[in-house]
Amino acid sequence: MTTIATPDAAKADAAIRVRNVSHHFGEEGEARHVRALLDTSLDVERGELLCLIGPSGCGKSTLLNVMGGLFEPTTGTVTVGDKPVRGPMPHDIAFIFQENALFPWNTIFENIMLGMTFQGVPKSEREDRARRALEAVGLDEFADHYPSQLSGGMRQRAALARALSLETSILLMDEPFGALDEQTRMVLGEDLSVLLSRSKKTIVFVTHSLGEAVFLADRVAVFSARPGTIKEVIEIDEPHPRKPEFMTSAKFHTLRDRLYELLHDEIRKSMSQSAKPKRAYEDAVAKGEA
Amino acid sequence: MSATTQQISAPSPGIVLRLKRYMLRHPGVARLGVVLLLFVAWEIAARWFVDPMFLAPPSKVLFAFDDVLATRGVPAALRLTFFELAIAFSIAVVIGVVVGLAVGLSKFGNRSFMPIILLLYGIPQITILPIFILYFGIGAASKIAFGVTHGMFPIMMAVVAGVQNIKPILMVSARSMGASRWQILRYVIYPHMIPSFFSGMRLGMTGVLLGVLLAELYVSTAGIGYFTSVFTQNFDPTKLLGLVAMLAAMAIVLNEVVRRAEVHFARWRD
Repeated sequence: MTTIATPDAAKADAAIRVRNVSHHFGEEGEARHVRALLDTSLDVERGELLCLIGPSGCGKSTLLNVMGGLFEPTTGTVTVGDKPVRGPMPHDIAFIFQENALFPWNTIFENIMLGMTFQGVPKSEREDRARRALEAVGLDEFADHYPSQLSGGMRQRAALARALSLETSILLMDEPFGALDEQTRMVLGEDLSVLLSRSKKTIVFVTHSLGEAVFLADRVAVFSARPGTIKEVIEIDEPHPRKPEFMTSAKFHTLRDRLYELLHDEIRKSMSQSAKPKRAYEDAVAKGEA
Repeated sequence: MSATTQQISAPSPGIVLRLKRYMLRHPGVARLGVVLLLFVAWEIAARWFVDPMFLAPPSKVLFAFDDVLATRGVPAALRLTFFELAIAFSIAVVIGVVVGLAVGLSKFGNRSFMPIILLLYGIPQITILPIFILYFGIGAASKIAFGVTHGMFPIMMAVVAGVQNIKPILMVSARSMGASRWQILRYVIYPHMIPSFFSGMRLGMTGVLLGVLLAELYVSTAGIGYFTSVFTQNFDPTKLLGLVAMLAAMAIVLNEVVRRAEVHFARWRD
């Protein structure tokens, strides 16, 4: 509550408004009951890239799912523009997940087309938009490959293309590079920065990586250990697209150290907790909760 | 050192070793060899050792196809059996898919009814064949019904298994893009189920074949089953084996058709 770092003037223009959101998994008293998120409020400004960072199990993915309408929060409200979020909002919000969420039985091209079918894009526009999205992520030559024929990095590029083709104003990314090796994620991070500086999208990006957060974000929201809430929001004042040189600058290191300082105690705290929340979270995803 | 070192010329690999390597690289050769060997053994046994009342050599069986087809009633029997198989298989697929989807797609359905399906599948149905005859008569209906009950369970189980181990993230992802229930069924669940569904159909096909032929053997008024018992009772092994060979060929062709379709639909799995 006390940690909203957005000035009041900016609130009028917030793309996503999160108010006093708490989320529990399971019923009170049950063995599986987990308080994942506690009384969190946050404004995501239009056109910014906001990173959520925190120890594992702190509820940052939960918050992302709540923002996108995939989980219904136990208490609190989320509004996108001026609409309250009560379920998926495919016309405003596109997701990119950590796991490979491409349909394995469709080619990359078909995957992108299918996303637009789900969203309700008129048939005549789909092919054009799919081609453009593939070009934007540099995968035009792989349109007819199946996901299993691509590397992990390419699959995430394809997932990004699918999300871009939906032409939503908001992108929610849940550790999109989490399963990739460091070198691949560095390159993808750079590409993302370039791509997004052009697109003016509002992005919320969950990550574990301090470097990734500093490199990509306009603001970084740091979570406390479970039950998670936002501890502090840090501004990264550096224009997009960010150059690789930024990563070796003194500014980068100061910011990264500041983040580490904020996170250090929370990580210790979370490590002394059980692994329960991860499982509760996965169960909720499997159930398709919301 | 050099004094004690002996020059051993590496022996060129022996014939046995070379044959072994060749076989490992060409598994089809060994397979064909075994089949041929069995045919030769059969030929020898039938020609010189076994009473011709009980066994005919494969060479004779092969040339008896014309004879079999010329036997009065056999072409009609083939047609009838094929008709029964086709009908029974279609019904088994429909029931299997409908029940499989209903049971597989809901947790409630799965918990409540899956045990019943497993139990029914476990019953050796041959014991209740007379009941089928009683209810459906001695015509095609009872054979079709018996074929259906043999074929539908493997298909059901395959459909249930097919819709169950689907990755949750795919459903979530589809939902986030605005997919309706129908679209999820059509574009996520259906394609995911296809490979498992086809292997179920192959098992189901075998089941249908078994059910229909068993019923025909038991009631013995028409169809291939009827003629197999006629040929057996007349001690005519040539025609019997000819008929069986035709039946086997038919089963193999049907099986292969489904397998090809399966490969085609599951080509994304590589």
